[in-house]
Amino acid sequence: MQHGLIATTALVTGLLVAAPASAADLKIGLAAEPSALDPHYHNLIPNNSMFTHLFDSLVEQDANQHLIPGLASSWKAIDPLTWEFKLRKDAAFHDGTPFTAKDAVFSLCRVPKVPNSPSAFTIYMKAVAAVETPDDHTLILKTATPYPMLPTDMSTLGILPAKSGKVAGPIVFKKTGCEGIEAYPSTEDINAGKVPGTGPFVFKEFVKGDRIVFTRNPNFWGAKSAWDTVTFKPIPADGPRVAALLAGDVDFIENPPSQDLPKLRKDAKLRVVDGLSNRTIYVALDSADAPTPGIKLPKNPLHDARVRKALSLAIDRKAIRAKIMGGQSEPAGQIISTGLYGYNPALKPDSFDPKGAKKLLAEAGYPNGFEIVLGSPNDRYMNDEKIAQAIAQYWTRAGVKTRVDATTKSVFFSRRGKREFSAYLAGWGAGTGEASSPLKSLVACRKPEIGYGTTNYTNYCNPKLDATLTEALATIDDKKREGLLQQALAEAQSDTGIVPIHYEKTPWAMKKSLTYTPRVDQYTVAMEVKPAK
Amino acid sequence: MSATASPSPVAVETPLHRLARKFAANRVALGGLIVFAAIALVAIAAPLAAPQNPYDLASLDIMDGSLEPGTPNADGRPYLLGTDEQGRDMLSAILYGLRISIGVGVGSTVLALSIGLAMGLFAAYSGGWRDTLVMRLVDLQLGFPPILIALILLAILGRGVDKVIIALVAVQWAYYARTVRGSALVERRKEYIEAARCLALPYTRIVFGHLMPNCLPPLIVVATMQVAHAIALEATLSFLGVGVPVTEPSLGMLIANGFDFMMSGKYWVSFFPGITLLVTVVSINLVGDHLRDILNPRLQK
Repeated sequence: MQHGLIATTALVTGLLVAAPASAADLKIGLAAEPSALDPHYHNLIPNNSMFTHLFDSLVEQDANQHLIPGLASSWKAIDPLTWEFKLRKDAAFHDGTPFTAKDAVFSLCRVPKVPNSPSAFTIYMKAVAAVETPDDHTLILKTATPYPMLPTDMSTLGILPAKSGKVAGPIVFKKTGCEGIEAYPSTEDINAGKVPGTGPFVFKEFVKGDRIVFTRNPNFWGAKSAWDTVTFKPIPADGPRVAALLAGDVDFIENPPSQDLPKLRKDAKLRVVDGLSNRTIYVALDSADAPTPGIKLPKNPLHDARVRKALSLAIDRKAIRAKIMGGQSEPAGQIISTGLYGYNPALKPDSFDPKGAKKLLAEAGYPNGFEIVLGSPNDRYMNDEKIAQAIAQYWTRAGVKTRVDATTKSVFFSRRGKREFSAYLAGWGAGTGEASSPLKSLVACRKPEIGYGTTNYTNYCNPKLDATLTEALATIDDKKREGLLQQALAEAQSDTGIVPIHYEKTPWAMKKSLTYTPRVDQYTVAMEVKPAK
Repeated sequence: MSATASPSPVAVETPLHRLARKFAANRVALGGLIVFAAIALVAIAAPLAAPQNPYDLASLDIMDGSLEPGTPNADGRPYLLGTDEQGRDMLSAILYGLRISIGVGVGSTVLALSIGLAMGLFAAYSGGWRDTLVMRLVDLQLGFPPILIALILLAILGRGVDKVIIALVAVQWAYYARTVRGSALVERRKEYIEAARCLALPYTRIVFGHLMPNCLPPLIVVATMQVAHAIALEATLSFLGVGVPVTEPSLGMLIANGFDFMMSGKYWVSFFPGITLLVTVVSINLVGDHLRDILNPRLQK
């Protein structure tokens, strides 16, 4: 009897101990911790990739950022100003409540109402003028002007249950603030796991600075995850993150540093997967017809398009790829990555031509070059500071004596905002996965009131580009719009309004027993981590 | 008679001679001094000794980047210590980096010493509320970790060799002020100062002509140690990315650059600058340690 009890206890204990090992658990080492799980709080890659585990959007983006059905099974433009979304009938929140159009309206209403949001999602609601729900599974969105990007915008907004707020009576959408909603769930509520989503994983734990734990949602409407439990560990320092993978503390890491990749690739126990991202690394040049802070000349030489072209020709993009990026990049000739919507196949990267650069500089009246300061962050993009140094080398050799001013990202971005740089290196991830995003932000004439040139700190203004872009943004026809975007990209390069350097290739490293489908948006999501066959 | 005819053969030993004799008696300290002198010499002669000018971007070639020690360059001459990812010859970069590190260390020490000396003497000699004011300022400053003050200052001032020196001076002057005040308080009660006062010598002459020379011995010790400390602090600041500009690396910056490559097996990028920094700081500390032993009467046998 006694023995039997002990044996049973031992057996049970053995099972309990063995259980986590045999169950499908996944531990992921993150390079950056999300600031919240709230899908409407902070528009940032770590946040956006994390919330997709818990919350779905009406429209989703696949690994190549093409739109695929999410909580809306289909959508179409009934007329240029009206979009109809047919909602999924088989989706339910983690607490069992079925998903209906009311939840969608509730979530859209919450987007501009998130207090203290460091970077709001409100821009994705800008175009929505009216919302109607003819029945529980149909959503009608109306815009004031033709707006082809509406489904893309919807793919960025996570859907929360209406139950999580205080809803009194029917919800009436108003641009100034919805009626019928007394209170929305707070960001803290969502971080504490009090708000269920419809996504493939269920919240278990969020300990800031230490771990985020999710479990599989057995009732998910889509493809169910291969993992019972997923644990995310933020390990921001590159070396320790790689060490954690080598030691087996985690199974999978994002952003292994490029200089470690050759070693990781050689390791028989590991697998490295990489894919082109939507991020373009570029150099922006102040083209103002006025003196510029980084160049001590009475006239701004960069105002001359020939000088800008010369600086582009002086850079050996292939050498930067081989020597600085360890192959983790693709030389760029425009500001949208190869293969994304709007990419113009006719625009090739400028090939390394130091003689041509010197000739153009001489033609522009600077046979002996000039001195310039190149600003750069040193902890934002892959090898950012090293790329800036390499560019400084090339420019100096072409006669333009360059000093690199590299600082931490917060300092860099605030100084860039104050226009302290005549030339700076930065990157742009096309969050929407198509060309209008970089065109609008980087090279359109600065008109913040309509969202143009919000990241254009170089006084570049090309009215022809703006006209083409504006036309594209009002064209619902996909084929025609793509042509217009390609044309706008060509405009930006016609007078070297911006100098594209390369597109980042994002690497992920994992145990040999796993695989990952690389995502263009650089997201690290457990849904794409699968056991290797 | 005979005593006056043949003068005594005993040589008169000046204090400097005595210091030198006692210093040379310790082989380790002498070794430290010789090593530091050698390092300082190659640092000063860097433009002549280095195969490449690592600050001239036009002479670098990233195609020569990340080469192992001993790999020959285009002219067939080997990169003795390898290259970093920008194609900088590590040997040249270390020699030039030493120049910056030692220059910053010595420069900031001299400046901080002058300021600290003046403040300490002023405080000790004037006494009263002036003394209190200066010394509370010193207390306040010493209450914060030096690295914190330097980080804040550099965050405000930005990068640059001159700015690093300013930050190091701001961090260090208080040590000197406190040390000088201590010894000056003792000295000013001695008879020779009273005698000088009775002669109605001017204030500046008493302070700088009489008081100051007698306060110097402990200060020499502190200054020697602080040079090593300043070099290490500059390396720390550059390692953290707030020190010197990236295109003009000091030793700390070289170590920071190479740190990225530690996991990938390219040890030479941070290993050699690290060793150089270690040797430099240790040699200065050996000298300083022994100086302290000599100049501290309590430790005399």
